[in-house]
Amino acid sequence: MGINFSEVNFSYQKPKRRRAVVQTLHGINLRIDDKGEFIAIVGHTGSGKSTLVQMMNALLLPLSGRLEIFGTEIKKKTVLKPIRKRVGLVFQFPEYQIFEETVLKDIAFGPKNFGLPDPEGRAREVAEIMGITDLLERSPFTLSGGQLRKVAICGILASNPEILILDEPTVGLDPFTKSELLELLKKLNREYEKSIIIITHDMDVVSEYAQRVIVLKEGGIVYDGDKKTLFKKEHLLEEYDLDYPETMRILKALKERFQADIDINQHSIEATYQEILKAFGEEDEH
Amino acid sequence: MNTNPVFGQYYHADSWLHRLDPRTKILGTIIIIISLFLLNNLAVIVGAFGATLVLILSSKIPFTKFLRSLKMMTTLLLITVVFQLFFNRGKILAEFDFTLTTVNLAIGIAILVLFFFSRKIITKHRFFLFLALLVFCFYLQTVVKSGKALANYSLAIYEEGLYTSLKVVLRIITLLLISSLLTLTTKPADINTGMERLAKPLKYIGVKVSILSMMISIALRFIPTLINEAGRILKAQASRGVDFKEGKFMQKVTQIISLLVPMFVISYRRAYELADAMEARGYVPDAERTSISLLKYRARDYLTLLFVILLFSAIIALKVSDYAI
Repeated sequence: MGINFSEVNFSYQKPKRRRAVVQTLHGINLRIDDKGEFIAIVGHTGSGKSTLVQMMNALLLPLSGRLEIFGTEIKKKTVLKPIRKRVGLVFQFPEYQIFEETVLKDIAFGPKNFGLPDPEGRAREVAEIMGITDLLERSPFTLSGGQLRKVAICGILASNPEILILDEPTVGLDPFTKSELLELLKKLNREYEKSIIIITHDMDVVSEYAQRVIVLKEGGIVYDGDKKTLFKKEHLLEEYDLDYPETMRILKALKERFQADIDINQHSIEATYQEILKAFGEEDEH
Repeated sequence: MNTNPVFGQYYHADSWLHRLDPRTKILGTIIIIISLFLLNNLAVIVGAFGATLVLILSSKIPFTKFLRSLKMMTTLLLITVVFQLFFNRGKILAEFDFTLTTVNLAIGIAILVLFFFSRKIITKHRFFLFLALLVFCFYLQTVVKSGKALANYSLAIYEEGLYTSLKVVLRIITLLLISSLLTLTTKPADINTGMERLAKPLKYIGVKVSILSMMISIALRFIPTLINEAGRILKAQASRGVDFKEGKFMQKVTQIISLLVPMFVISYRRAYELADAMEARGYVPDAERTSISLLKYRARDYLTLLFVILLFSAIIALKVSDYAI
């Protein structure tokens, strides 16, 4: 179950008889589980990240190859609504999709469309999880950017999708709202066993939250695996256009400066702190 | 990569038509279009058509670019031809007798039903297939005479009708080609500047030409942007379970609102942001503005305009003195 790509190609141009088309994505093979995954999709601008996630929501259809979402093959005539209910996609700058008079109504819009029972009850439930119950009766047009972002994410969560995809959810948010949002995603992942997929350019987010990283380059998957193996590689920038996370850069600098015995492949602030303590011991306390 | 018909028309090439001042081209096009409507003699219209073809050749733009604008008008042209052919009386060129019998009525209905059910098998050029089948149905009525006759009628093509339809069709085609010539050889921005300059005298009657032209150019500039935004909102709402293809009337209304409200919000935001950005860069609506593309009238512009005006005067003069042109 989950999402299965096998040899999927995609192009924004219509297939032409004679000439070859520019393929935005090519030779995509991917398996995504519907339980408990936390995946970060990274890659240079224009590498096909947004296109890939739109295919996971069946908003774009493959040019060739086989795409299965929850066991249903996606073709031109597939009924897509039940699939979109199970795979929620939060677009970049999702605050633009909000249109109802109250936050509550807007959150309930999705479940109402999918014909789920008691849409408003569901809306209240997810608002509780996201901590925005105080906003429910307000007009969305009076809210701040960060609040709107949360409302928009609630709007997707309310349909209770098994896989939740977010296209650059932290762009334009202040550091506090950003970490708050990411912690919420972590909670959804841990406590509700939802698979979370995020597109991001922020290596710190990848390093701290993701379990699995998918690297796209020029429309193909060049890396798919856990983050430790990825960050162990020497030439990330040259190979994948990627940077190292802050934690690793600090540890690397320390290692080079003091010739200390440090394992630089650490991904949470806590682990980094412990590693520094281990290397420098008592000295660091003063 | 612009599929919008308003844009992406300009085709870059190096020809004298590209180098002409946009004002010359706009004025020239208007005068030529008026002249076309004054012409009423088939031979002269054919001449005008030929002259247009020569102009197109001299523009160094591939002819296929022009075909696109003609393609959009095919239906209109076909309807015009049919009407003109059959509804002008005069000398009979050919006459067809039709007999509607039970047999060919049955065949005709069968063909239409088959056509309807072939929808999934034959997907391309259905309109032309339909026309061909329609013509075939009428043809059957002249050949198959078996079965009980239900009605007898005849259609005649008159010489007059043939001439008129040829004239009308050639006139429309020439008109389309001439106006495509303007949009293909001139950048939208240049057309706008040219219009602004031409409309300048209007300021004496209180029209704020520069503001008007700024509004038009901004509006044109934002059409593709807003189309992109609309596409994004459509997708975002689709992933919230909106199905724009289905639904009852009330659902349809909600669906449209879910697109329109965000579009309004985005447009307003963009407008405010743009206004701020323009003011930050020193835009004052009523101030005298200089243009980045300075238009300069050269010898070739005077010559072209002179030629067009002479042509126009000649047509008027000949018309007034009752020559059949």
